[in-house]
Amino acid sequence: MLSFIVKRILYAIPVLWIVASLTFLLVRVVPGGPFDSDRNLPKEIIANLEAKYNLNKPLHEQYFLYLGRLAKGDLGVSYKYANRTVNDIIGDAFPVSLQLGCLGLMIAICIGVPLGALAGVNRGTLIDYLAMFMSTAGISLPSFVIGAGLIFFAGISLKILPVALWETPAHMILPAVTLAFGPAAYLARLTRGSVLEILEKDWVRTARSKGLSKFSTVVKHVLRNALVPVVTVLGPITATLITGSFVVEYIYAIPGMGRFFITAVSNRDYDLIMATTLIFSILLLITNTIVDITYKFLDPRMEVDG
Amino acid sequence: MNLEITITRHFLDFLKQTSSIVLSAILLFVGLGLTGCSPKARFVPGELRMNLGTEPPSLDWHITTDGTSGDVIVNIMAGLTQYQQDLKCIPSVAKSWDVLDDGRRYVFHLRDDVFWTDGKPVTAYDFEYAWRRIEDPKTGGGYADFLNDVENAQEINGGQITDLTKLGAHALDEHTFEVRLKKPAAYFIYLTAHWSTYPMRKDVVEKHGDRWTEPDNIVTNGPFKLAKWQHDYKIELEPNEKFFEGRPKLNKVKMFMVSEQSTAFALFENDELDYVDNRSFSTHDVDRYRNDAGYIRVPLLQGTYLGFNVLKKPFDNKHVRRAVSMAIDKTVFPKLLRRGERPSTSWIPEELPGSSETSALKFNPSAARAELDAAGFPEGKNFPSVQLLYPNREDTRLIVESIQAQLKKNLGISIELLNQEWKVYLATRKKDPPPLFRANWIADYPDPETYMNLFTTGNGNNHTRWSNSTYDRLVQNAAGELNVDKRAEMYRQADTILCKDEAAIVPTFVSTQNILMKPWTSGLKFNALDIHILKHANTAEAAK
Repeated sequence: MLSFIVKRILYAIPVLWIVASLTFLLVRVVPGGPFDSDRNLPKEIIANLEAKYNLNKPLHEQYFLYLGRLAKGDLGVSYKYANRTVNDIIGDAFPVSLQLGCLGLMIAICIGVPLGALAGVNRGTLIDYLAMFMSTAGISLPSFVIGAGLIFFAGISLKILPVALWETPAHMILPAVTLAFGPAAYLARLTRGSVLEILEKDWVRTARSKGLSKFSTVVKHVLRNALVPVVTVLGPITATLITGSFVVEYIYAIPGMGRFFITAVSNRDYDLIMATTLIFSILLLITNTIVDITYKFLDPRMEVDG
Repeated sequence: MNLEITITRHFLDFLKQTSSIVLSAILLFVGLGLTGCSPKARFVPGELRMNLGTEPPSLDWHITTDGTSGDVIVNIMAGLTQYQQDLKCIPSVAKSWDVLDDGRRYVFHLRDDVFWTDGKPVTAYDFEYAWRRIEDPKTGGGYADFLNDVENAQEINGGQITDLTKLGAHALDEHTFEVRLKKPAAYFIYLTAHWSTYPMRKDVVEKHGDRWTEPDNIVTNGPFKLAKWQHDYKIELEPNEKFFEGRPKLNKVKMFMVSEQSTAFALFENDELDYVDNRSFSTHDVDRYRNDAGYIRVPLLQGTYLGFNVLKKPFDNKHVRRAVSMAIDKTVFPKLLRRGERPSTSWIPEELPGSSETSALKFNPSAARAELDAAGFPEGKNFPSVQLLYPNREDTRLIVESIQAQLKKNLGISIELLNQEWKVYLATRKKDPPPLFRANWIADYPDPETYMNLFTTGNGNNHTRWSNSTYDRLVQNAAGELNVDKRAEMYRQADTILCKDEAAIVPTFVSTQNILMKPWTSGLKFNALDIHILKHANTAEAAK
């Protein structure tokens, strides 16, 4: 197991280097620069700003300067938020996204997996149709529609929950539910399909014929095996949820990291774009590694290797 | 993503209009279990909650150039002078000033009862340090060019002079600050009310470096002090007990950073914000609340125009430009945008000297067709295909589509709309503007100079590439003219050359700020520079 983790870390280094290099080049190819504004600054001022942030140096020099800083854990400076480093920005925003993402993930798993299992076990019944109707709705409705709907009904009409902001635990409910809607629906569909497949297996029939109750068979045997494909998708879902959602954070005015995936690009805030991309990549690599390790626990026959 | 946000807004509007009974029932059921979380009445006397819309990029008043940062800075700082609501400059830290040497030298006499929030007195040396710092190339000051009229300012900022003490701004003693100008500048006094010229504490900046603007480090001299800054979420201000004009009535100001307009307005409707402005107030909501007692509309010094790249055909011909100008009915724009915009009759807005109702060409389709005929395009025949560049924004799209339709109808010419993402649009406009482009200008100070200097030869913001020596001379002479009437006349003549004789631009409309306040909110002041003055504001039961 340890060698597996070490191998994964070693593989991650070149992957991250490629991601960083490509992003570095791509953001500089896009027209428009960090200091372009409606009021064009005089040439002298632009020159001063570019000198301040080393943007007047040749591209390859900027690249090696960036990699040098990155190796020391310095994610750079923000050109938009002049008095803050990218480390400051991520340090403030990531915990918020992490908190919201974990809550959303928990809701998605707690609703999606049981709903899918229930639908699979009761195939062709009203329960199945209802569960799949909810799942289809969850997948089809984008989060900005769900968010706006929840704000209107729960926040404005019924006044049972705060409309937006990030103050008390009650403020987390609507954004977490909005965030969880899509993943929960997806997990429900996936679990249902997987449960149906497992239920067809000979060993399930054998277990039932030996007198094991339907409930025990499903909980102890079917579900455990059915979870393998579900766990596979949990990796990218987790990475996506804990790095924040632009739409959810935007709608509910949450100071998370998700907004920077969009605003950093529109502001041409080069170092911040690099940081968000790298953090997402790192989280994706970590969650995929955890998923691979989880396989071993779900099915001991599976080999965990690099 | 903009599309998604627009759809969100429309969806929310749709929900407001047609409530879904089914969803209500479901949420009512869920809600019964959650009534314990029900939000309480949220009005807090002495506390003002407002929306900034976004995170202020910086509270360093030498670096920032944006209005959001300005909204905070003007309420925590005080400069030599200040703008009244009618934009007149009145004393602030400077109790008086002398204009000497035919307008080439200003001597400011400072009050002796102005203190920083840490108790130290504000002196002329704080101004001297601040003015030198903004011109120092190492600062990267966005508004460094504001002081270009000050002796050696441009040379210091451009790196030709490295000795900062050569700047023509000196403390003569603790309470006297002298400024020497290269040439008279009639608008100079307005610059002393702008945040970029506020004083700054050398010891604080040097001690804390880039972090000097954080609440634990910053010292200010204005009506409020920065108490808390949760980045990308909220700023909290508290009254400055030592403020020289007296302690503000408010005990706290909460400035939230809610980007989504419909969410911000939902917070206002839920009594979680005490007033909203354009940032939080959709056109649909303006229509709904237009007759509300708390609704006010403030004309802004923000002009939008249609620019021609006069180096590109067919707009190198002034007859074509004049034809386009006369073919556009500007009264259509307020009907489209519905925020009380004013159709432009000149480039200089009516609040400023030099503005005249006759400076720009009037809507006249038959005269427009005659001009086009004279240019060699009778009834629009053989008119080349031209592009109109505009940024990706809903309100701008409405305007350019209207211009496209009007030119087709009134001149028989077709133009192609070119929509670009904001930064790409800025880069295109700067590097190689297409024949037509939409642009706007927000005044930094209330003087025609800020509008007219824009179109002088070689100005970095003159995207039209238009050059006219008579216009340049008039604008240059007017800048130094101290006789108010003569100066206004010079600007009127220059404006006529720009918008009528040469028609280098078509001024389209002047924007307005739409504000909606809760009944318990009082004393808020707004001016045409879009400055929100909070020092007289209050939220109190009595006003409720």
